[in-house]
Amino acid sequence: MRSIHTAELVTDSFFSSRMEKIGNSRPLSAIWSMVLFAISLLFFGGNVLAGNTHRIGMFAEEITGGYFAYRMMRYEVIDQDGSSTDITARYSDRATVPGPTIILTEGDEAEIELMYQINPDQANSKHNHVSLHVHGVHYDKDSDGTLKYINLYKDESATPVLSYTYRWHAALGTAGTWPYHDHNMDSHNGAEDRGLFGALIVNPASAAVDNIKKEFVLYIIDDAFVGMETNNTTGQHTPLWANPNLTAEKNSDVRFHVLALGTNFHQFQLNNYTWADPGSVNQIHTKAIGPLEKHVFVVKATHSSSYMDTAFSSVLLGMKGDFVVAD
Amino acid sequence: MSSPIFGKKMKTTTSILLFITTWLLASMVLAASHNIVLSAETLPNGQYGYKMISHTTTDGTVPTYPADAVIPGPTLFLQAGDNVKVQLTNNTNVKIDFNVGGLSVGNTSSLSPKQTKNYRFNANAVGTFLYGDEKSALLGLFGAIVVDDPSGKVQSFMDGNGTLTAVNRVQLDKEYILFMVGSTFWGAEMSANGTQRPLWTNPTLGAIENQLVRWHVLAVGHAHTFHLHAHRWPDSVDRNAASSNIIDVKLMNSPFDSHTFTIKAGTGVGPGVWQYHCHVMSHMQSNMNGKFHVVPAGSGETGESLAGASPHGKIFGNENGDGAGLVTFIISDEPGSWFRSVRGDALSPVTHTKSLEIIPPGSSVHFIMSDTNGTHTVTNLLWPSDAGKNDHGGDHFMIPFEQTKAYRGGGIVQLNVPGLYVFTCKIHPFMMAAVIVDDPATDGLDLGKTIDLVSGVKDLPTSSDLATRLVHTFFVASTPKNWQDFTSTNPWHVAYPNVEVVTDAGKLSLVSVLEARYGQDIILAPLVKPATPGVGEVWINTQFEKTTGKTKPGTVTVLNTSDWTLKRKIALPQINMNNPHNMWANRDHSVIYQTQWFDTNLVLIDQKNGKLIKSIHVGDTPSHVMTLPNTDDVTVAIHGENGVVMIPAGTTEVRHMMPTQQHGQAPANPHGHWISADGKRIITPNVNTGDAGIYDPETDQIIARTQTGGGAPVPHPIAIGMMPDSSKVYAANLLHHSISVLDGNNGALLNTINLIADYDPLTGEFADKDGNGAVAVGVLPIQTPVSPDGKAVVTAAMGGQIVITDTATDKIVKMLPCDPGCHGANFGAKKGGGYYAYVASKFSNRVIVVDPDPNGDGNLNDAEIAGSISLVADGSVAKDDNISSLAGFGGQGVLPLPIVYNGWVQNLSSEWSAGLTNSQRNPIQ
Repeated sequence: MRSIHTAELVTDSFFSSRMEKIGNSRPLSAIWSMVLFAISLLFFGGNVLAGNTHRIGMFAEEITGGYFAYRMMRYEVIDQDGSSTDITARYSDRATVPGPTIILTEGDEAEIELMYQINPDQANSKHNHVSLHVHGVHYDKDSDGTLKYINLYKDESATPVLSYTYRWHAALGTAGTWPYHDHNMDSHNGAEDRGLFGALIVNPASAAVDNIKKEFVLYIIDDAFVGMETNNTTGQHTPLWANPNLTAEKNSDVRFHVLALGTNFHQFQLNNYTWADPGSVNQIHTKAIGPLEKHVFVVKATHSSSYMDTAFSSVLLGMKGDFVVAD
Repeated sequence: MSSPIFGKKMKTTTSILLFITTWLLASMVLAASHNIVLSAETLPNGQYGYKMISHTTTDGTVPTYPADAVIPGPTLFLQAGDNVKVQLTNNTNVKIDFNVGGLSVGNTSSLSPKQTKNYRFNANAVGTFLYGDEKSALLGLFGAIVVDDPSGKVQSFMDGNGTLTAVNRVQLDKEYILFMVGSTFWGAEMSANGTQRPLWTNPTLGAIENQLVRWHVLAVGHAHTFHLHAHRWPDSVDRNAASSNIIDVKLMNSPFDSHTFTIKAGTGVGPGVWQYHCHVMSHMQSNMNGKFHVVPAGSGETGESLAGASPHGKIFGNENGDGAGLVTFIISDEPGSWFRSVRGDALSPVTHTKSLEIIPPGSSVHFIMSDTNGTHTVTNLLWPSDAGKNDHGGDHFMIPFEQTKAYRGGGIVQLNVPGLYVFTCKIHPFMMAAVIVDDPATDGLDLGKTIDLVSGVKDLPTSSDLATRLVHTFFVASTPKNWQDFTSTNPWHVAYPNVEVVTDAGKLSLVSVLEARYGQDIILAPLVKPATPGVGEVWINTQFEKTTGKTKPGTVTVLNTSDWTLKRKIALPQINMNNPHNMWANRDHSVIYQTQWFDTNLVLIDQKNGKLIKSIHVGDTPSHVMTLPNTDDVTVAIHGENGVVMIPAGTTEVRHMMPTQQHGQAPANPHGHWISADGKRIITPNVNTGDAGIYDPETDQIIARTQTGGGAPVPHPIAIGMMPDSSKVYAANLLHHSISVLDGNNGALLNTINLIADYDPLTGEFADKDGNGAVAVGVLPIQTPVSPDGKAVVTAAMGGQIVITDTATDKIVKMLPCDPGCHGANFGAKKGGGYYAYVASKFSNRVIVVDPDPNGDGNLNDAEIAGSISLVADGSVAKDDNISSLAGFGGQGVLPLPIVYNGWVQNLSSEWSAGLTNSQRNPIQ
């Protein structure tokens, strides 16, 4: 489906919090490959840091409004002792935009099985691909999440009949926040601009981030901010949808992960706060961001403020939200 | 730093710091002097390139340069402190400059064709810089200057084990130079042994695993974000910062930027074919990508790079060129040449258009938005049916070529299947480029057996009437000489290339077929003024008329309807008014609001004297403007974006944009909106999403979005008409040749009026097939206003027809002849009662006056053309600029004053309502 055609659907929009998956919840035809892989064999090297293994299952779904989105299905963390913790319940049980925020620490591995849960299109075989292409971290050529047309190797897609498992290694040197997104649906560019994107946070092995109470993932798409919050105290992830108001406890440290996606260029601003521009000593309060760039900073929440995109059309479209700091 | 393009500050502080440090540390290193002899050349496809004639230096060796002129130009590798003398000869046919961005330059004077001049600059900063010609840069006159620290220290790389590792230049295995231009990468490579090699467009960059390669990414023109898969690197280093910022995407700012980094090929990820691309969605969709091929170490593979399609390659006229060729279309605001081959001047004596190119299979077509202020798309209007199918080795990923939203940039696409391809802009659908992919083995130019159309028509024979009608339309639209000039006493002659084409019906003479089907040397009807005067004035956008005082086209032609004479021409040279498209007026008609369809600003014009009041930035590619009748607020459809902007009455600043879709949905790209008589509803034809949207301007609520055009994939709804009591909405579907009738309250689809029911697309026969008693056809319908009394819909169809529909039955009652490119229509008052519809055509220079009901009996069967008036001004007409060419052409938006639509007419001042009858003042009582 391409757009909204009835008033009824309009009120039940994707960015309201009442979303439902389109179509019948048909039985999974995906083959669930639960193959364990040996980290030490894949990434053997002199300076390898051992970490946890994150075993994740995600759906790519179609949701009301003509969007596609990722949904967390299962998430299990296996630490170095081999003990396993199921953290699936920390995620929304619905497909969200942005998709689930995945948080690793340098040294960790993630094994993510993606399942195609979109109505296939008989007439357009290009539609029957969906993938995860991740930025920043290490992966070998099986986990690029691209089509054979690009990688000259194979179609690295989940399809209506087969899931696909991607393996990411948050090796030393990959600390940062990275986008992940589809690269394969409908064209060799993928359908990232229709909702298939999310954030991966790789925390540094060398520095503690315990002081950070909240993570705000803010994706700037062409006509809105879309947000996802992680409460580091509870581990809970909360979808914030479009142009959200962000809340923080007074004097707590919170981290903004600002990413962009689409065709437009943006000028992010958080009023009455300054922070260090990563990789420099400059204190800034505004930052130019182009599609798929990332800008990450921490502020101590001392006073309420608002964030916005000051690009011409973005201002007219009301691309902004409040940053509410309360005791 | 003489020009705005090259004046960007390039991390100056860092560079100066580095430079001073360098000086202190390396004071023993002597600065070298370089003597460089360059020429600027025209390449076989019409683009420009620099050629290295010689390079001598007082210190060290010089690279081995390519023998031919190349894009990007030869890369100049220097050390900080070097002095450079450049002797440049201009062997092109255009005047050029020599600019260097970010370095101190001596003489910057221009260079005429055949001239030679000397320029000097000092490599007084470390970094990667641009040299080139500002005006022609997007066509190939750009190259890189790499200034390194004399110590040889270059950008550190991030090793797979997380170690940030320092690198000396001697350790580099190769260096890539990648220019991001439009939506294309232009590449070159410098090997460790000092050989420079051109890699042309979207190359495959090769390396062996673990080789150290340095990337110099530069951007000229539009903004981009560079991304390389599976690798990461430190952003430009601030040595005072505690840690580096590790990135894999980098913003490249407009109009010039550079970014240099070093990577170890495949570190942490291993061998593979890793894509590099621009991450701007529209640029990705227009094919801005290449491959970084990392081969396994010790495998015996050499990791050699593969060049892409080149201006020296095989194209028509250069059949023996070197490898895959490239033809380039400039996307332009210039009438007729909206897609102009860069060698169009050379081709047009043969092709009779600058918008047709011919290539062999395997060569590429390249587009660059280098001569426009608007946003556009590059969209396949039609293509050989086989090219879009899944069995051609990946062609179906690129054909049909398309982007989801209007943008700034360009595009590139390899065409492998022989046949006819036509590209258009979805925003400005009269912009067209045609490419024939001709198999050299066949006799005659290959049009292919069948084509598919973007509107959903599949497997249409190339000899069919619809196919040749589109070809005919292409030759009329893209060639101003083929337009209908009503001031000429000569018959209307359309020039076609004298070629044989191969169709499903075999080999045919193109000229014979087109002349047999659509006539030739047609005598144009004489202009006759309507017998009954109108009321007031008619403001007409003669959008293509050229004047001497500005580079952009377009005027307003003001027609006095009391005696049918021209009152004024308004060109606004002081703001270089660009393609004025549509107008409206405030309540007292003191201010005319004028959109510029290839630009970003709304213009306010003083109705009394035609003078500029103000030009206001409203957004990309504003198309139509109307006021809300209840508040007099101004609404402007931002056709290149995703909404309608609002300017409160009496102010000159945009307050906000009413979005035409929900967050994150494909932009609607609204074109010709209409507003209900009570001001409570805005209805937009959503070109990009194929629907009509009904919105509440007070709350921004989306009331309904109704798909138009009977489910066709790309119906292209372009303009809206509305009943005076708001009961029904009429949406014209340009590519579906239909009018969708919607309930004005809830948007429910009531009816689809097929405007080509009486047309046979195979034979071209016109017959009353829908049995409504009239033979009536409207090919490519555009503006479709409803008469203020609510009785008639008058639809201007680009195919050269005016179609009249009775709103009581929603059936077509009449077809009247119009001119090619028939486009604008709007109603004004007829003196003594009734209404005239004024109809303007893009490819003629007259306005047609239609009387839909001459005897006022409510029966439209006697609808007729009351007369027509030339839009060409003689010396007596007041002007703010001198007409230079295309006099009176480009008829589009039409605004009769007074505005007599229900809801507006009641608000007129007594000055403007004086000439109206009682029933005209109260049109639906």
